[in-house]
Amino acid sequence: MRLCPLLVPALLLFSTALFAGESAWTGAKANHWAWKPPVRPALPKVQDAAWTRNPIDAFILARLEAAGVKPAPPATREQLIRRVKFDLIGLPPTPAEVDAFVNDHNPDAWEKVVDRMLVSPHYGERWGRHWLDLARFAESNGYEFDEPRPNAWRFRDYVIAAFNADKPYDRFIAEQLAGDELYPYDPQALIATGFNLLGPDMTDAANQAQRRQNTLEDMTDTTGLAFLGLTVGCARCHNHKFEPITARDYFRLQAFFTPAEFRRDHPVPDAKEKAEYDKRMTAYLAATADVRAKLNAMEAPYRKQIYDKKFAALTEIVQRAHRTPEAERSAVQKEIVANTARKLVVSAQDVAAALTKDDKARHAVLQQELKKFDARKPALPTAMALQETGKTPKTFLLRRGELRNPVEEVQPGWLSILSPDMRGEPASIKTIAPTSSGRRAALAKWIASPQHPLTARVMVNRIWQHHFGRGIVASPSDFGLRGDRPTHPELLDWLACEFSSTWSIKRMHRLMLLSATYQQSTIDGVKKDPNNALFGRSNRQRLEGEIIRDSLLAISGRLNPKMGGPGVFPPIPPEAGVSAKQWKASADGADHVRRSVYIFARRNLRFPFLEPFDVPDSNQSCPKRERSTTAPQALALLNSSDVIAAARVLADRLDKDAPDTDARITLAYRLTLGRTPTDTERRLSREFVAQSPWSELCRALFNVNEFIYLD
Amino acid sequence: MNPLFEYHVQQTRRQFFASVGLSFGGLALGLCDGKAQAPAARPAVHPALPGLPHFAPRAKSLIYLHMNGAPSQIDLWDHKPGMQRYFNQDLPASVRMNQRLSTMTSGQGRFPVAPTKFKFSQHGQAGTWVSELLPHTAKMVDDICLIKTVSTNAINHDPACTYVMTGSEVPGKASIGSWLAYGLGAETQNLPAFVVFTPRFPASGNGQALFTRMWSSGFLPTRFNGVALRGTGDPVLYVQNPPGVTSDDRRTMLDALSKLNERNFERLGDPETHTRIAQYEMAFRMQTSVPELVDLRTETQRTLDMYGPEATQPGTFANSALLARRLIERGTRVVQILHRGWDQHGDLPNALRNQTNDTDRGVGALLMDLKQRGMLDDTLVIWGGEFGRTVYSQGALSRDNYGRDHHPRNFCMWLAGGGVKGGITYGETDDFSYNIVDRPCHLLDLYATVLKCMGIDHERLTYRHQGLDQKLTGVEGAQVIPDLLA
Repeated sequence: MRLCPLLVPALLLFSTALFAGESAWTGAKANHWAWKPPVRPALPKVQDAAWTRNPIDAFILARLEAAGVKPAPPATREQLIRRVKFDLIGLPPTPAEVDAFVNDHNPDAWEKVVDRMLVSPHYGERWGRHWLDLARFAESNGYEFDEPRPNAWRFRDYVIAAFNADKPYDRFIAEQLAGDELYPYDPQALIATGFNLLGPDMTDAANQAQRRQNTLEDMTDTTGLAFLGLTVGCARCHNHKFEPITARDYFRLQAFFTPAEFRRDHPVPDAKEKAEYDKRMTAYLAATADVRAKLNAMEAPYRKQIYDKKFAALTEIVQRAHRTPEAERSAVQKEIVANTARKLVVSAQDVAAALTKDDKARHAVLQQELKKFDARKPALPTAMALQETGKTPKTFLLRRGELRNPVEEVQPGWLSILSPDMRGEPASIKTIAPTSSGRRAALAKWIASPQHPLTARVMVNRIWQHHFGRGIVASPSDFGLRGDRPTHPELLDWLACEFSSTWSIKRMHRLMLLSATYQQSTIDGVKKDPNNALFGRSNRQRLEGEIIRDSLLAISGRLNPKMGGPGVFPPIPPEAGVSAKQWKASADGADHVRRSVYIFARRNLRFPFLEPFDVPDSNQSCPKRERSTTAPQALALLNSSDVIAAARVLADRLDKDAPDTDARITLAYRLTLGRTPTDTERRLSREFVAQSPWSELCRALFNVNEFIYLD
Repeated sequence: MNPLFEYHVQQTRRQFFASVGLSFGGLALGLCDGKAQAPAARPAVHPALPGLPHFAPRAKSLIYLHMNGAPSQIDLWDHKPGMQRYFNQDLPASVRMNQRLSTMTSGQGRFPVAPTKFKFSQHGQAGTWVSELLPHTAKMVDDICLIKTVSTNAINHDPACTYVMTGSEVPGKASIGSWLAYGLGAETQNLPAFVVFTPRFPASGNGQALFTRMWSSGFLPTRFNGVALRGTGDPVLYVQNPPGVTSDDRRTMLDALSKLNERNFERLGDPETHTRIAQYEMAFRMQTSVPELVDLRTETQRTLDMYGPEATQPGTFANSALLARRLIERGTRVVQILHRGWDQHGDLPNALRNQTNDTDRGVGALLMDLKQRGMLDDTLVIWGGEFGRTVYSQGALSRDNYGRDHHPRNFCMWLAGGGVKGGITYGETDDFSYNIVDRPCHLLDLYATVLKCMGIDHERLTYRHQGLDQKLTGVEGAQVIPDLLA
């Protein structure tokens, strides 16, 4: 479509070359470091062994010593407790927490703090959010109509629970890619497969086959980015320009997903909910058998009549497509049927409109009768999920990625570059059940293998990135030739081997947080490494918008710690001009002060206070948030009602909890910045509150750099 | 930027610093101890990328008038007198060539030709044909470069709008305004580099939702997002001091804090700190500059009359057009006006008349105003939609009433001002405005040309994202169209 008609013949000639490159890869493309499985390296020797606390430090220090750079001095205890609390929980430390750590002189004080935070249920809210960014999580369809997805929150809760339970990462992968195939009786594993459906969905697409294809592409691309750290999506329309990934590779990967049905309302009851449902449903059906039979008998002739009329209204070509048995339909006929099926649906309204006057009255009575039982009709909890039905549509290599340009059928298979001999052979797949092709189970098994060269490396790098501000590979979802090279390849491999031996994410947190590397200050004393490529100091990090909002709530003592459940709708200021259809504030004020991870995630409307702070666009997997600095941020922190309310409530709290001006200033600094003020700061603040209300001091403190940055 | 204005900005800036010592941001940040920092070290608020522009620009700023929903080229610009005799005849199969239809008409039994009911006449020295619906724009045709053969890829609004704004149907790419803000920065220190208006539209208009992604920075850093000025309430969210905080309070706060600046901080040499101070300065100045921007008392009555009675009503197209000129004057790089309601599947003649009544005067006035001030020489104006509309009627057809479906294969856009040839018509379509027969201009070719006017080689304005050097004009080799350039 991109090219004008005159150029099409030229394109067809050219495009025959697009799918070449199936033979074994050679040269730089074949020898790229990331294609080789990680091998556990020996620990390097260091001179200043006393500095090291665990193997991570040996790898870091060896490079620093080689470059003649000394590690930064350790961070202060006040900085450390604030850093780790934001890092693991996403909330500021309370003064009591700071005091307890600062005054704990036992050698294991730090370890105890880390362990305590790792078992907090709020850890999952913080780290689950990182995964939700990768999963392009949102609770609406996006595109023009952006319809809500009322059950999408179950995936959010699944992720939070998985992180809290330290679900082994291989199992976490398996559940999200193939929970229905591997753990069909575990409702949580079914909810997990919603991962594949979280992307935007054009429900009103002109072509419903294209709509399904878009969703398939989205799940293929996201699988590549999130689990493999590869930009496979680039190979959809042509062989990848930079990576050894062919268009055929792309569609082979997609073929793992093609047997799946995309369910938006898959029942996901646990055993107890199911038993209860069955009991109540049996009772409901028994109680309504009579009236339902009468209704059906009355409606049947009308339904037939209406259907026939609708059928007759179709053009001859469309009728013929519908009359042709499904197996014999041509590709065009299939498309026609898919696009016109809804014209043949006989709705309750159609029937109601067709009823004769007498029948209408009788019908109304019967419906009234049936309605009386509505309260007794049970409903199952549902979620978005994949499900197979036994049908296995063919997967085609599509020229230029266009559905109407199939080139040849392909079978599911690994990327050729990661296959034995680097040839794209079909994967060996065992059917699990008549309605479970085993394809995604095979894909999950391949990805979640300790021998896979990418899986463990990609995930440990993500964990590292969040703790240290930058990944060992700085392009966290691109480990290909065009991605960044690892700054510490041996460390990355050592961590990957450690990780894949247990797949415990919390164990990796512990390793990283207990290192001396993590506990360095942000002070750049030596100025030899401006980009901190050597990790010879800590990187200063800006807090995410959600964490800023949660902090404002926590500091002013208003945070509602309730976990889980459907998304909440805190009010949006009228100046934002958002329609009531898009956003209606939750009736219960307690829902206005929940943690930000529970704010209903509308794809087309980012929460106005969070928006300037780089909340990602949920249309695509986001491996790393932007850290922009803008005037709208400043305005939000100066003037938004969220900040004003926090400042007022905090001022009241200072008044109540501290006896005099000095104590109040100290408490204000401790609550907002996690430290006591210096003498100068104390004097300046005293002068300030002599002229201005306390709430203004609080507001000013919310606007100092230190409030939204972590040292 | 106008040197006089530059001088004025510098004066204002100096006075500001002299009176309060430093900006609010610097002051609040001054509540924390640290080393001193010289104010001179602060960077420009909107710096250009090094090496940009690539060559001398013909246009310094861009005003993009986007008619969201897809205005009918057949009823506005693409004059097809021969079509009248085909009234209510089926569109010949040789013309339709079995092309993709939207679901809204794919079930239709026949495709009857609906000639426009509106009269066209020739205007200007160039004799450009323009519909009677655009009398004000018609007066400016000698400055307009009309392109009749623009084509795009998508057939539904959402992907097509995403495409027309970002060069990609897939959400997540950077918008054209963000690209320009990223590459060229802006000369203003008081206002955003890229500003968006979403004025109200007639009740008869079929309004599609607008998405922030249409002016989003996508993968670019978010400081390049368009800032949408609001038509109701505050033009910028959170721009007002909160209730209960008077400007005296603010003054007290600033004065008290200014004393702290002898021990101003710059804790750790983090360059982001400088940026943040600069953004606080701008936020503070926006609290003044935005109200000043929207205060039209400094405009002459003659100017206001040109834009019409709605010029002073916030949220109207005319008001947005006037503010667009004021923003460009103040050094903003890109202004976009996204006007909704142009999706006429039915009752097109009435609804389209309302749409043009709502916008035509503002468009004509904007061009005239820019021209009279000598600003049209270095301001580029774009007018267009996300695709065109079909020659055949959707739904019932009469001489007086009809509807039209989506048509991405060809539609009309125009450019005016800095760097483009005025008074020309580029490209030709067939007798049914259904296919391009001469000189196609893909949307991305048009954007390559626009960037050229702005001093940018579209192949060299790139940003690395997901393993690819992303460009506004995509990977398939967009071409600058030299015939459009003056």
